[in-house]
Amino acid sequence: MSTKEFKPLPAQPAPVSTVGPVAWVRENLFSSKFNIIATILIVFALASVLPGTIDWLFISANWSGTTEAACVKDGACWVFIRAWSKQIFYGSYPSGELWRVNLCLFLLVVIIALSFILPARLRNRVAVPLFLLLPFISLVILNGRLIGLEYVSTDKWGGFSLDIMIAAASMIIAFPLSFLWALGRRSNMPFARSVSVTCIEFFRGTPILALFFMGSVMLPLFFPQGVTVDKLLRVWIILVLFMSAYMAEVFRSGFQAIPQGQYEAADSIGLGYWQKTMLIIFPQVVKISMPNILATFVMVFKNTVFLLVIAVPEMLQIVMTALSNSNWLGGHAAEGYLFVGFIFWICCFSMSMMADKIEKILDTDKRD
Amino acid sequence: MFYRKTTEQIKAATRPSSVGAKAFYNNPKYRGWIYQALLLIFLLAFFFGIISNTLDNMAAQGIKSGFRFLETSVGFDVLMSLIPFDTTDTYARIFLVGFLNTVLVSLIGIFFATILGFIFGIAYFSQNWLIKKISIVYVETFRNIPVILQVLFWYSAVLATLPSAKDSLQIGDSIFLNIRGLYLPKLIDESGSSIVYISIVLAIIAVFVLRHWAKKRQALTGQQFPLLKASLGILFGLPLLALLVTGVPFHFDYPVLKGFNFTGGTNIIPELISLSIALSVYTGAFIAEAVRAGDQSVPKGQTEAARSIGLKEGRIMSLIIVPQSMRVIAPMLNSEYQSLVKNSTVATAIGYPELFTVFAGSALNQVGQAIEMMFMTLAVYFVLNMLISCIMNLFNRSVAITSR
Repeated sequence: MSTKEFKPLPAQPAPVSTVGPVAWVRENLFSSKFNIIATILIVFALASVLPGTIDWLFISANWSGTTEAACVKDGACWVFIRAWSKQIFYGSYPSGELWRVNLCLFLLVVIIALSFILPARLRNRVAVPLFLLLPFISLVILNGRLIGLEYVSTDKWGGFSLDIMIAAASMIIAFPLSFLWALGRRSNMPFARSVSVTCIEFFRGTPILALFFMGSVMLPLFFPQGVTVDKLLRVWIILVLFMSAYMAEVFRSGFQAIPQGQYEAADSIGLGYWQKTMLIIFPQVVKISMPNILATFVMVFKNTVFLLVIAVPEMLQIVMTALSNSNWLGGHAAEGYLFVGFIFWICCFSMSMMADKIEKILDTDKRD
Repeated sequence: MFYRKTTEQIKAATRPSSVGAKAFYNNPKYRGWIYQALLLIFLLAFFFGIISNTLDNMAAQGIKSGFRFLETSVGFDVLMSLIPFDTTDTYARIFLVGFLNTVLVSLIGIFFATILGFIFGIAYFSQNWLIKKISIVYVETFRNIPVILQVLFWYSAVLATLPSAKDSLQIGDSIFLNIRGLYLPKLIDESGSSIVYISIVLAIIAVFVLRHWAKKRQALTGQQFPLLKASLGILFGLPLLALLVTGVPFHFDYPVLKGFNFTGGTNIIPELISLSIALSVYTGAFIAEAVRAGDQSVPKGQTEAARSIGLKEGRIMSLIIVPQSMRVIAPMLNSEYQSLVKNSTVATAIGYPELFTVFAGSALNQVGQAIEMMFMTLAVYFVLNMLISCIMNLFNRSVAITSR
């Protein structure tokens, strides 16, 4: 008896209309009447705008040279940025001392890296205290008087490095302060609670520009006569308070997300208030608040640009000064603002991406 | 011998210091009061220090106090004012001018930011790949660039490159755009125009009544009423009828080029244009993000159920998704609107005369009474934000889940 073995025919390739680029285009660009019209309109708009923009930005842009006279072609004059790049990044910090600014930025990066690399015990013992000390270490390095370096007054600090450093320094100091405010807001003590609420709501409800303005016109009145407080220090105080208010709200939502059982369990093993808060609650709150803390940092970082209204020479202020420089009167506003915007965009965008990533990594509860 | 401790003994042995346990300072209740008393003392000392320092400083610098300055005349002019203003008017008047300008730019900003936000937020869910990508690019670009930079960009990199008045860009013979701003025809009332305005108000009321009636009828009988068509008919028909009856009691005042500048018509200054664009685009990006999050919060089953009963995609959005996502979106809208009002202070970078620029800026420079003037300015922002909060809470209540 012979058995007939079943042999299937070889599979036919899928119809062209369901796989490959043609299908993709059909599905994603021309799936309905509305989509066909929309696609055509968008392609038409892009085709009429993009080539000109790219040409202006790159192809017929002027890249090399040192003076405005080098900008002979029609496109963007990136020479402008190039000529001012030192001021844009470092302000008018003395040229020979720039390594100090670089050192501070390097320290910031190193400490952030350390807090990721070090094991948990060391992280708490080494990275966290270093973090809290960093603003003061940087102050000493940048100022230079205490350690026998050339003294550089704060009005010479500036540029993009100032934006980064003042945002980071505010963040670091605001961190413990905001945690206290958040605790105060949740506390059972009515007076402490109302003080915290008032502080938080005041700083959240006031435009940051008004706060900076108050820092420059009102704060000097609050100090005793004869005491003058450095402008940058006042700005720092304002930014710390502003950021604390926003972070306190971040922490508050973090507190609310901790299950009640955690508090009860901590109580039941006999931990006191501070033990419970610091050992059980705080680590969990920081963990779940991390993406929002980063988002707050992005907001404050963007807000450092507002410092230009009180004439602190941060990046945008320097670009504006450069725009009115008598050697560069050819109208480079577009180049200057695009460049500043691009730098901020890169920083903020990468930080928001990081926040999203951290959110996904930390989202351990929902993983089975 | 085997010895078993009693519970009391264990307690006594394990509690390290039972001596102070009953002391009053270990009682959480009293301890709370002690902490609060310390806080109070600290705050009192702090404020006492600040106030006495301030008084000393003010005396030393010869700064006056009180609100007398409000009645003195200003001595400078403003770029733009919604109410008549000249240099002899008082500081109280300029406060009002600034306040109205702030409200104007906030309203314009909120209006356009909402439209942009909803368009780009919904565009994220488009089946068209290009539309979806454009929505993402829009949100990620404008959200991550400081708003003050955007204002400056529009003002001095875009609007400043517009042609001079002689070579204005123009639409027909009535709308002109040049470096001095946008010129629009102005509507001038003639006698009888009030009848038209009354008819518009009546039409709006009629639409509300009709809507209420149609909803009630649908709930009772299930019969639908062509509400949109009827509403549009009333909204346009009634004023049109009034126009015809009264013989069109309006005429336009067209801007005309005279010499180097335009006269007549309404001029929208470039400061207002660039501030409105920047605020709406910036806040719009955040609102788009909120709308996206809101739409994502609606379970997928809702869309599928809607498809299975045969609703079209547009109807699914407007009838099923948007009403449910509004619950998530409304609180976020509230905070975005509030930050828009606060962000309107960036006007100071380009000199648009809103409250902060004219009052806490120019006026403060002349008067020097920082405390009173900052207090007045901040109070306005707090009140405006509270107002937004109240309105948005009402709105929030109307979209919240109603359980029957």
